[in-house]
Amino acid sequence: MLTGWRDFDDTLRVLDVLQRRLDRAFDPWSGPALAGQRAPRRARAAWPPTNVFETKEAFVVKAEVPGLAESDVAVSVEDETLVIRGERKTDVPDGYTVHLRERAPIAFTRKLPLPARVDVEAVGASLNDGVLTVTLPKAKESLPRQIAVKAR
Amino acid sequence: MSELNTVREINGSSSAKAYRHHAVAPPVDVFENADELLIVADVPGVRADGIDLRFENDTLTLEAKRQPGGDESPALAREYDEVDFATRFRIPAGIDTAAITAETKNGTLVVRLPKAAAAKARKITVR
Repeated sequence: MLTGWRDFDDTLRVLDVLQRRLDRAFDPWSGPALAGQRAPRRARAAWPPTNVFETKEAFVVKAEVPGLAESDVAVSVEDETLVIRGERKTDVPDGYTVHLRERAPIAFTRKLPLPARVDVEAVGASLNDGVLTVTLPKAKESLPRQIAVKAR
Repeated sequence: MSELNTVREINGSSSAKAYRHHAVAPPVDVFENADELLIVADVPGVRADGIDLRFENDTLTLEAKRQPGGDESPALAREYDEVDFATRFRIPAGIDTAAITAETKNGTLVVRLPKAAAAKARKITVR
């Protein structure tokens, strides 16, 4: 199982670069990150990466926001759209030189239209270990309902 | 600004489950100053007890496992898989390996590798 080598002496850098290119091939956030250059080029896909699940009673949205605390992200529901706004800062600490930079600072706004009406008052969000979880209970009228078929 | 494409995973998550045994290298920043090397890695979904950080023979090995569960398929939209993380660093000489510290916060791991006193830059006076 290959894992990435980072060799500060550059001796094994070729192997590491190959592995990281493979890891990054399907990762839309990545870009070239060489020491001394500016932050990697703008991500081709939206950030943060987000998964949406549906249970019988609710929609659950999970987004990966490593490094963010509650104060760095704002979640709101506007017109049946879930809006996640925030900023991920990754400053170079003062007085340090940069060997490798793969974590770009990024300010983001993501809007996810919701497939059904939700009970806005009951929407909850939590942030644990860099994963934001938003639970949106479906509105009563959106819950599945059996419709009786009457025979004539 | 429609962001959400509805995707139905008809066959469930069989391919996602197989993929989950694969571990990827997390995005990493590496900094250095006169006193230490500093490594910052993005490991979302990982708690301190899920991190295995080992130093052996000049190699710093990081393995980070996510919290299990919480990935109910099928998904309406899926932009990431909950894969684990693994990577290795070759550490140059001059690090006080007994004093390496690491802490995790909000899904980010910060590893500090202090330089041994003998390796710090020192001005040499010439008589």
